Order: sequence, then structure tokens, then C-alpha cells
Amino acid sequence: MSRLRLAGGRVYDPAHGIDGAVRDICLDDGRIVADLPPDAPTLDVTGLVVMPGGIDIHAHIASGSTNLARRLLPEEHAADPEAAPPFAAGRSGTGGTTPSTFTTGYRYARMGYTTVFDAAVAPLMARHSHAEMQDTPILDTGFYVLMGNDDYLLAELAAGRTRWVKDYAAWLLARTGGYAIKIVDAGGVEQWKAGVKELIDLDDPCGPNGLTPRKVMLALAEAADALALPHPIHLHCNRIGQPGNSATTLRTLEALDGHRAHVTHLQFHCYGGERGKGWRSEARAIIDHINAHPSLSFDVGQVVFGPATTLSGDCPAQYLLHRAADRKWLNVDLELEGGCGIIPYAYKQSAAVAALQWAIGLELFLLAADPWRIVLTTDHPNGGLFQAYPHIIRLLTDRAFRAEALKAVNPKWLQGSALLDGLDREYTLGEICIITRAGPARLLGLAGKGHLGPGADADITVYRPQDDAAAMFAAPVHVLKGGVPVVRDGALVASVAGRRLSVAPAYDEAVVAEVRRFHERFGSVSFENFASVA
Amino acid sequence: MTTTHQAVTCLGCGCACDDIAVTTADGAITRIDRACALGRAWFEGASVPAACTVAGVAAGPEPALQAAARALLAAEGDLLVVLGPDLSTEAVRWALHAADRLRATVDTATSSAAGEGILAAQRRGRAGATLGEIRNRGDVVVFWGVDPAQRYPRYGERYAPGPPGVHVPEGRASRTVVSVTVGDDAGPEDADVHLGVAPADEVDVLAAMRAVVQGRAVDDLAEPLAGAAALAQRLMKASYAVLVHDGEPQAAARSPRRTEALITLVQALNTPTRAALSTLRAGGNANGAEAALTWQTGYPFAVDFADGHPRYAPGARGLDALAAGRFRAALVCGEWRGLAEPARAALAAIPTVLVGPAASTAPFPVAVAIDTGRAGIHEGGTAYRLDDVPLPLRPVLPHPRAADGVLASLACHLADPAFAGRS
Repeated sequence: MSRLRLAGGRVYDPAHGIDGAVRDICLDDGRIVADLPPDAPTLDVTGLVVMPGGIDIHAHIASGSTNLARRLLPEEHAADPEAAPPFAAGRSGTGGTTPSTFTTGYRYARMGYTTVFDAAVAPLMARHSHAEMQDTPILDTGFYVLMGNDDYLLAELAAGRTRWVKDYAAWLLARTGGYAIKIVDAGGVEQWKAGVKELIDLDDPCGPNGLTPRKVMLALAEAADALALPHPIHLHCNRIGQPGNSATTLRTLEALDGHRAHVTHLQFHCYGGERGKGWRSEARAIIDHINAHPSLSFDVGQVVFGPATTLSGDCPAQYLLHRAADRKWLNVDLELEGGCGIIPYAYKQSAAVAALQWAIGLELFLLAADPWRIVLTTDHPNGGLFQAYPHIIRLLTDRAFRAEALKAVNPKWLQGSALLDGLDREYTLGEICIITRAGPARLLGLAGKGHLGPGADADITVYRPQDDAAAMFAAPVHVLKGGVPVVRDGALVASVAGRRLSVAPAYDEAVVAEVRRFHERFGSVSFENFASVA
Repeated sequence: MTTTHQAVTCLGCGCACDDIAVTTADGAITRIDRACALGRAWFEGASVPAACTVAGVAAGPEPALQAAARALLAAEGDLLVVLGPDLSTEAVRWALHAADRLRATVDTATSSAAGEGILAAQRRGRAGATLGEIRNRGDVVVFWGVDPAQRYPRYGERYAPGPPGVHVPEGRASRTVVSVTVGDDAGPEDADVHLGVAPADEVDVLAAMRAVVQGRAVDDLAEPLAGAAALAQRLMKASYAVLVHDGEPQAAARSPRRTEALITLVQALNTPTRAALSTLRAGGNANGAEAALTWQTGYPFAVDFADGHPRYAPGARGLDALAAGRFRAALVCGEWRGLAEPARAALAAIPTVLVGPAASTAPFPVAVAIDTGRAGIHEGGTAYRLDDVPLPLRPVLPHPRAADGVLASLACHLADPAFAGRS
């Protein structure tokens, strides 16, 4: 079915200012076209809501660390098997907080999402991520490449040799087939490997000659800007999850001073208070700054009550959580470029910190002035699972539902939270469309996604309007990927292969010899094979 | 014509040294540089035939594939898929596709000892590092009941204690090497510190070390616990302690609690200092099979698709069930020569499809044999080092068929509802 007219739907296409108008959407050969001849096949979607396919800007679905998490959690998989869908290429799998690859693709697609970015891939493991993504059906996928704890970069910066940073970043992106620069706790993971057990702050030393996380972050932000990458630095700030970290976050945002940046899972970085003396929300101070600075965007990292797995390149933060949570703990230090830490976790409504985290996420949603610069995420599977997105959408669109949910949380744990002030905003469907597809597409620089104009990829989700937005968004009536119907009435009917989304910025070839010299001295993999994905 | 291939990955042991230079001329390997004895043996086993047989009679590849698909479909739900040790990860992915479609039981080259280690890590997690990080940071390196020179010859030269690293600039001279001999499993002789442990005491010794690390004072210890306590103190003073142990079966069976005790000791060391456990694994690509199984099913080995979805059955391995007559057919992918005699006899008694190097020379009767090249010699793709780092494989010799291509074709035949053999 290469040509198709979706006829009579209520179309949400915020990129073109269309907010629920009734009109036809025409598809031909995987893309949206302006019109089709009258004899083209028609799918009647009268009365239904038509949106671009969902885009997840930050999830952990296809990486070496995701796979270590899968391996760590056989008990979750056993409790959540998934049979193969009923078509020839269909594959079975398992779920839990870290589903197998085929199940990941299917579950996202059944929810109307068609594009997902893995948030953290170390260059050494890039080849692994490509293999997992090949086995993740339906979704177009890409990944962000970890930088900022790599020994080569830190050594160059400490020596004041900043001239290669741009070329080095470009070479790594091209070499790995990555999409954007990811910074996780700049300099802090290197410090963890050296034995530092606390999370370092923006201006703490993270190397010789006065090297600090601030300098590392700014060098990479400048590189991303100079390379005109479609997505700016994707920034996991220092001191994640610590009471009082909002001061670090604010200083970080101020330091960026006009550089583009996407701050990820911001919810985890908005805490006031002190360890042992109570936590409080500082969401308002953070969101006020972001609202006033158009060069900044963020995704929320909403906490959802229930099971999760914390899975992060921020090894020292994971170590601290391991000490506090007393769950099984996995840490792997990756040579010359960071590491990962994994802990199975649960957010309990009855737990003070979890309740505050839940509330802070909602505050960020409800106080954000510009829906184009905020994206719905749970930092899957860290704050909760991607399958919780429909539930979160209902919390945003349904004030009464949110009020009921708030009643179940002890207000004494929500110190400083604007939620207690009775935030009564309700997201419109158009705004939901922005924070789940149109906005992330724009923030990622994906010209062919997140909208329904001619030339766009024919990734389309059709929902039946319902009072219960969670039910509406959990089970689309139709999902088309590249024009191919893959979901009908919430069930998979076909599968297609997704595409890889990557960038290949130009760089000065001379940087390769520089990196090779370092790598041949200290690496354990032949340079020809390092981060080789071909 | 003579060609020298650089940066070739060797699968002779789990070290997966990827700095090998292999020279070929006229379709044969004529020179191997930088490989150890195990590596040389790996590359020198390169010559494989290129035949296909059906019921022992030579056949073309397509008829052989069709016969294979028919034999396997006839046993859907009662089928064993064996993944040999030397398949590329790409071939493993296609084999799993077939196994899922056929609701098969999957068994792999993951040894019983390695399986126990995986189960221990699933209970406790672990604190590990890739080999390069061990090279660059490890300043106290303990070889616990293993001398890597025996089965992992270049570990010491490439990772630790030999080479210099970022934080250990003098290499061996910057490191303290500790040799712990457990029964007959000796540590390296040239270590700086030696400790002997009786196998029966091993788990207690590790527990005592952990108690010391956790600050639970243990006074007036007698040997062997006193020596263990001293070693624990030494490890706590390291900048980055590394414990190396053998994840594969050794001379004598060890307590099943051994790996868990090693894991929890190294985890605990990460409070007073930094530490990593390095688990040595055998050659081939068992780690790659475990990785692909994990991302496709959630489980790293012993996966059973009989219920129509993956089920973890580490206590009921497929090759054990084979001898008990559980299966009506089998698909053996990759190297078959490691199969024990009882397995071969059981395979001979049911329709068996062999897809792998020298399949046509198997000394037991099989329904279909399709010769392929050997991953890393004739076939490209990916293999995983013992620390789960993926490495590209560079084919140095030609072969008309690669296992991943054959298994992909087989999977297509199995999935095609129009396939004539289905009825």
C-alpha cells in the first residue's frame, strides 16, 4: 500500500499551525504528499485524531549497558513474556523494565511511537548498539555518543590544547554512526574511576591544571555549535539525584551563556535541601531560568510510581544509590571513556524522595512556558518505563485526575513544590502533540519528522478521542511507519525495519593521527577496530 | 598473490587479541604474526571443505536448505538448536530467528562453570571493567587460582600486569602482582606475593576477606584466614584492585558459591577503594552468543522457546535433555567437534541439520550438512571479547558460504508460508 489517503481525521500538526482541523493526509511511497488522485486508496479516519508518530528523545533501549541490565534481571523477564505477533517475521521476547529488542520495538509502536534515540553509547560499544538497533523493529533509531569523561579529551583540555575538540567530536560521531554529543556528569566518572566517591560539582577539579566539569562542558558545547550539529550537546548535569543539586544545575545553565544545550532528565537535577536534613523542590527556580533562555531545551525524566531500573553512565551516582538502596548493583568501568552502573529500583508512592521526584516532574511540565522546548520522557527505564507515557499524558491533560493522584501523596514530602499551590494547567491535545513529537523533532533537527507536511516521513498515529487520555494514547487505532500500517486497534499487524539516524560532520583528518597516537599507547583494541561499526 | 591482513581478531581464547597480522597466499595462511600458541592453532585449523549433503549424498545448497527446513519444521516445538563456540554474532542472530520460529530449545557453548558465574552475577550484580581499564589502572592485580599463561597466554602481555597504562606508567614495575593458588590451580610463579588456599577453605577465605573490607573486625585469625585478612588489607590500600579468576571449568570442580564470593568481595572493595573482577572466558564467541541471546530474549544462555516465548531454563540445558531423548530433530550451528560422544550418538538418532565448518565431515549420520567457513577466518561479522567488548572479524581466506548467510536463508525458508515443504 504505497499510496493512501487518510480521510476526514482531526489533524494535529503544530509545526504547520494545524490544531485539530479536519483534513485529509495523503501518503505516497513512504512520505506525505500534498494530494493524491481521487482513485487512490482511502482510509476513513473520520472523528479520529491524527498526529505524527511519537518521538522519544531520550531512552535506554539499545546499548551495551542496556544489555547488561537485561542480563541482570531474568526475574523480570520471566514475569513478562511476550509471544511473537502473528506475522511471518514476528519475534517473541520478554519485557520487564528492560525489554528485549523486538519487544521494545513492538511496544513502542503499539503506543504510536516510531522514532527513539538511545541516550548513551560509549564509542567502544557503538558496534553493539548498531546490532541491537538492527534487531529493534519498526523504530527509526539513533544514539548519542558519550564524551566528557574520555581520557583523550580530558588530557587535551588539561594541556590547554582545545583546537582538536571540534574535530575529535566530529570524528567520533562519524566513526560510531552517532547522532549527537552526550555528556554525563562531565569529568565525574573519570573521578569515580580514580577513587572519588562523591559527585563533583561544576567547578571542582576533574584533572590537572585546573580542569573542571565547566571547562569540559563548554568545550563540547562550543564544538557542537561550531559543527552546527542538528542536536546540541545532550547534557546530563553534574550531581544528579543529590539534595541541593539545583544550585549546580543553575550554575550549569548560566555557564552555557548562549550556547545551545538540551538538558536531559531535568527532574533529577531540581532538588533543594541537604542530605539527612530533608529535600525540597527547586523546580520553579530552574524552570524560570529555562523559560527565559530560548537556547535551552530539556526533557523531564518524569518519575512514575512502580518498578524501574536505574541504568546510567553516571557510575558514581549509581554507586551512591547502591549504598542507599541495598539492591544488587552492577558497575563496569569502560576503558578510556566512562562506564556504566545499574541498579533495579522501585519508586514508592509512600517514600518521601520518590513522592517529591514525582511532583517535581509534574511541576516542570506545568510551569514550562514554551512547549517546543520541553519533551516528555521518563529517562526509560530510570524514572519509569516508556509504557507509562499515556498515563503521564493524562496527568497533564486532566486536572481532576491529577488532583486525585496528588491526594494519594503525603503533602509534607512536597516541600517547595508548586503542585501544592494548585497548578491547574491542562495540556491541550496540540500541546501534547508538541511535547511528544513536533517538539523533539525540531530539537533533534529532524526535518522529515514530527510534522505532516509534504515530504515528511509517513510516520503517523491515529487515536480515538476519549475522555481518558491514558486509554486514548495507550492504544492507537492506526500506526503507520513509512506509510506501512503496522498497528491496527492496538495490535501489531506488520513489521518493518527501522532506519538509523546519524550524522557525519566534516573534520580535519589530522585529528585522526592524534587520536591514534593516544589510542595505540593506552587502548586495548587495535585502532582500526576501535569503535568500528562497518 | 601474497596479502597481509592487519588487525585481525583471534578467537583462540577469550582475550580476542585483535592485533594479529595474517599473511595469505594462494588461498592458504602462510604466516601469523603476534599470535600465541593457542592463536596459531586457531588460525592453522583454517582449512575447511565446501560441500553440502542431504542424507549423506552430495547436494546443491538450495536443495540442502529446503531439506533442512523440512526436517526442522516437522519437529516444531520439539527441537534443539545448538550454537557452537565460533559463530559470528550475526550468525547467532539468524540462528535465534530460526529457533524462535521453530519453538526450539537453544543451547550454547557457555560452559557449566561459566553458566554458574552468570547466575551468580544475576543474583548479586558485579563490579567489573573492560580489559583496557584494567591495563590503565590496576595497581594491585590478584590472580585467583589461575595463571593466565596457561589458557589465556597474552592476557599478561596485553592487559595486566605487563603493559604500561595511563595510571601505571611503568607497567609491571608499577603493579603488585598477587598469586593465589587454590589446590591444583596455581597462580603465576613470578608474582610479588603468594598465598595458598585449600579448595575446601576457598569460600570461607573470600568471606573473611570481605568481612575485613567491610570493617567487621576479625581478630586473632589462624591460617589460612590470617593470610587472607592481610591480603584484604593490601587490596584496600590499592588505588585500583583487580581480581582475575577463571570463569571456565578448571582442574577440579569448585564450590558453586565461589564466584558469588568473588563478586561480593570485589563489590565490597569499592567502598574503601576501587576494584574490578575480571572473569576469563574460553575462545570462540560464546560471549557474543550470550550478548545476542540477551538482547533478543532477555536471557544469556539456556533459552527455551517451546512455550512460544523465551523461557530461562539454566537448570535444564538442551544438550543434557538431548541425551535423554527430549528432541525430534536438531539444528547444530557452527563448530560441532566439541560435542561429546553421548550428544553425537543422540544427534545421530534424530534428523540433525549441521551448518558450520566441515559439517560434511561429521563422523555421525546427519540429515543435512552445509559446510560454511569459520568466523574470523573465512567470515566477517562480530565477536565479543571476554569483557563483552565487540570486535570486528576480518576474513582472511575465501569460502563460498558464510554461516550467517546460510542461517538467514534458512530463517527465510522457515518463515515463508508459501514454502512448499511446510505441508
